[in-house]
Amino acid sequence: MLTVALPKGRIAQETLEIFETIFGESFKFDDRKLILETENFRFLLVRNQDVATYVFHQAADIGVVGLDTLEEQGLDVIRLLDLRRGVCKVAIGMRVGEKLDLTKAEIKVATKMVNITKRYFADRAISADIIKLYGSIELAPLVGLADMIVDIVETGATMKQNGLEVIEEIMESSTYLIANKNSYFEKKSEILDIYEKINDVVKQEN
Amino acid sequence: MIFEHEIPEGSKLYFGDSAKRKREIEQVASEVLYKEGFEEIVTPLFSYHQDDSIADVKELVRINDTKNNKMSLRADSTIDVVRIITKRLGRNTTHSKWFYIQPIYRYPSTEQYQVGAEVIGESDLSVALNQAMEIFGRLEVKPLLQISNIAIPMKLSKLLNIGLDDFRHINIQKFLELDIEWVTKLVYLQHPEDIDAVIEIVPDEIKEELFKMKEICQKIAYKNKVIAPLYYAEMLYYDELFFRVIEGNKIHTRGGRYVNEDVTSVGFAIYTDTLIEANK
Repeated sequence: MLTVALPKGRIAQETLEIFETIFGESFKFDDRKLILETENFRFLLVRNQDVATYVFHQAADIGVVGLDTLEEQGLDVIRLLDLRRGVCKVAIGMRVGEKLDLTKAEIKVATKMVNITKRYFADRAISADIIKLYGSIELAPLVGLADMIVDIVETGATMKQNGLEVIEEIMESSTYLIANKNSYFEKKSEILDIYEKINDVVKQEN
Repeated sequence: MIFEHEIPEGSKLYFGDSAKRKREIEQVASEVLYKEGFEEIVTPLFSYHQDDSIADVKELVRINDTKNNKMSLRADSTIDVVRIITKRLGRNTTHSKWFYIQPIYRYPSTEQYQVGAEVIGESDLSVALNQAMEIFGRLEVKPLLQISNIAIPMKLSKLLNIGLDDFRHINIQKFLELDIEWVTKLVYLQHPEDIDAVIEIVPDEIKEELFKMKEICQKIAYKNKVIAPLYYAEMLYYDELFFRVIEGNKIHTRGGRYVNEDVTSVGFAIYTDTLIEANK
């Protein structure tokens, strides 16, 4: 029996569809239920940011989560497979027409992803004042809270609508199948079996 | 503000049942090790030499002696135990089997109780590993024993031009995409009885290391074991065969072979705290 942590929403839906393709049966959560048990799997529906935490602490053996969230949290889990879904970028956005001036004495950056942002500027030896926000990140440069933002960009439409543009990409992200490090060795044949089956589906799609 | 009931984060407090279990673990371990000819050593809490045995020196709790020389609290027992026996007690003893029951301390306030054993001048890891598993047997704990060989990822990294980070993160997608039959078999290898089929097809330099894994598996009677030839962890001193004892998400023990100043030794450390925790 493998326990699988899935993030609520589109990724959970897409992942369950992969399982349906593999096993030819229906995998659907009953209304508002957070656990779905089948013969060989137990699926848990958790918040996106909590998937790696469930896997790290072995409340789940495997899980599906975005690479950006994994990089931000830095938890020691195994990245088994790139599912090539939910493709997006983590990028720096500024007001249209503004340029990135790294010689400024003080750079203010608003973001949800504090750790990725810290690492990016630290690697370039730039001292940045990072302001943690929980949403509506695009607002920060418009009201003078920050010089720039670091945020997830899929099409760039949200930034554009708010008068911002991408001036630099920090990383590419997509959803990954992850595993707990002890579960991997304890349940290697089960985990590698599901890895293979999911990989076959992903390869066929691409 | 610090409340009256607070203790520093990472410090340990045992009372009642948990303190009793701690005492029981230490008692059982010392009985097993004394019976097998080990002698006990208690090393100083303060050390001048911890920089040699810690991968990240920022983890040391540092202080200074009266002459302002750098010292730190004991953050690892192995190297200090071996150094004291070979350098300080060398003239007074020829004994080679030693055990210790003492905590280690990491910055800022992490405590970890350990029972450890070192067999100085011994290169056969099964000598230490069998002792560790006998202690688990006496404690009626049946965890999973994972046997690995750090020389395999080191050699493969050069042979296949794959970074050690990919081994550390167990990046199996990268290994499998190489589409090399023997690499794929190494990824899938889990049970000791399957090792021969893989030994047949790997390059000679890997063959030699897999043989060592096969040999040690034959010397270990403990049943609940797996082999993980690609497992890599950053360790300052294990240089060849090493093992982990895991139960659920907990690591109860690590051990392995190491070379210190041209002397090959084997040893292990049982993490008493995780065993107490598992008993709750």
